[in-house]
Amino acid sequence: MSGIVVAQRRRARPSRKLEPLLPAAAVAAVLAVWQWSGLFLNPILISTPAAIAGDLVQLVTRGVIFDPLAESLEELVIGGSIGIAAGIGLGLLMGRYELVDKVLSPFVNFLNATPLVVIIPLVIIWVGISQNARLLFIFLITLWPVLLNTVAGMRNVNRGYVDVGAAFGLSETDMLRKITLPAAVPYILAGVRVSAGLAIIGMIVSEMEVSLTGLGYLLITYGNSFLTGRLLAVVFISSMFGVANVMLVKWVQATFFPWIAGAAAEQR
Amino acid sequence: MLEIEHVSHVYETPQRRVEALRDVSLGIREGEFMSFVGPSGCGKTTLLRILDGLAEPSDGRIVFNGRELTGVSRDIGFVFQDINLLPWRNVRENVEIGLEARGTPAADRRRIALEALRMVGLEDVANVPPYTLSGGMQQRVGVARALALHPKVLLMDEPFGHLDNFTRETLQIEISKLWSKLGTTVVFVTHDVDEAIFLSDRIALFQGKPGRVTDVLDVGLPHPRWEFNVRGDTRAIEMRESIIQHLGVRDEVLV
Ligand SMILES: Nc1ncnc2c1ncn2[C@@H]1O[C@H](COP(=O)(O)OP(=O)(O)OP(=O)(O)O)[C@@H](O)[C@H]1O
Ligand SMILES: [Mg+2]
Repeated sequence: MSGIVVAQRRRARPSRKLEPLLPAAAVAAVLAVWQWSGLFLNPILISTPAAIAGDLVQLVTRGVIFDPLAESLEELVIGGSIGIAAGIGLGLLMGRYELVDKVLSPFVNFLNATPLVVIIPLVIIWVGISQNARLLFIFLITLWPVLLNTVAGMRNVNRGYVDVGAAFGLSETDMLRKITLPAAVPYILAGVRVSAGLAIIGMIVSEMEVSLTGLGYLLITYGNSFLTGRLLAVVFISSMFGVANVMLVKWVQATFFPWIAGAAAEQR
Repeated sequence: MLEIEHVSHVYETPQRRVEALRDVSLGIREGEFMSFVGPSGCGKTTLLRILDGLAEPSDGRIVFNGRELTGVSRDIGFVFQDINLLPWRNVRENVEIGLEARGTPAADRRRIALEALRMVGLEDVANVPPYTLSGGMQQRVGVARALALHPKVLLMDEPFGHLDNFTRETLQIEISKLWSKLGTTVVFVTHDVDEAIFLSDRIALFQGKPGRVTDVLDVGLPHPRWEFNVRGDTRAIEMRESIIQHLGVRDEVLV
């Protein structure tokens, strides 16, 4: 029985050698069709890959991109890292002290559930149209996922690990330091990835909605001028932020916490 | 030396109430190898956790060397059913954890941990992550982790339950040798009757629902056991039969 299934599956699959090339081939095919569509579609609608690449090169060679990019990055790094640090910190407190958890969790859950773009006007009322407003917004949007994940990580420690700590006589602080925290790291990292993704969104949104700066400024300007090629070149750069985020978190995990992948592989 | 006095234990969960142990009394003698044998769910793990001070009995008490046990004791070591090596520590650091809790200086911890690993034949893998070891090796690390504290009593919860027969038999011999060498009192949980006969001085038979001890048998075979064919020994075969009959395994299989 099972032999037949395997055989069928084999046949349905492309050969092993070609398989790794499949994603690249799919991308190439889409790009080719897109490029070909440029022969009859108005370039203002969606431009073409070649034109966008050309615009991207120009943005760089003419130096147009650097100042906005630096502005955006600065906001992202400051607002995002404060948000992530505060999220982990608050999460640790809530995970550690039941009382803090009980007091804060209604607010945390409410704010986490709120689509936080709605507070931009409020943020502006608080700190005015300024870089601080953008930082505050990025901070507020970043905080929640990593916070909730940190709490969840500390609450969901494998019971077996807790037993080991108890059986071998760890004090309460050692239990926290040597069992609970390390066990929560996979959750925290997953939270960081989600939060950092939101920070990127927060960055762009605040640059379009609070005051025109950075990449958000370029997006709005090129959009208003129907410069679709340049617009999409900036979109591409924004996507790279997201890609970099995922790669960075992966790198941190592989470099500093190789056991996460190791232990997960063993479970299978 | 370790007295179980009228211990009962009840688990209350919102869904159900489980009487895991009912009025269990049993004395464990200094230096003996005692096995708990019984079907799955009859409260063996529960009793072992109570003996280690990890759980408090709902009723009754444990007396260890004349004193009532309240919480985890330094002199009692535990080998878990599912080992639970910490993946963020390497093998040696896993073995050191109990020593850290005692405030042993780092250099001594290292020496003692390596010594414990040598006892189970694993000093070569001291620096590798535990998840790169085979199941049998991980179980030996679990034993070393408990041995590093030089416990007077070693509680082992089905330590070889997940292992293949070959590894299992090797480890049975190793544990038997360690026990003769160290003179530690061992309480060993298993549902493998042959394993219990091979290792033990005495076997406590458990039955489930509610969990209770229904008989305690003297094995009475000479030590060391690895030097003769215990499986083929007539007394061992008879004992095996009577245990299996006592546990009602046959009946269950037939039904
Ligand atoms: N934490 C718990 N909460 C509720 N019920 C539990 C808990 N732990 C064990 N039980 C129940 O208590 C009974 C005894 O469980 P225990 O783990 O002690 O059995 P065991 O003899 O070790 O079984 P096995 O041989 O399968 O390991 C079982 O019915 C089990 O479902
Ligand atoms: Mg058990």
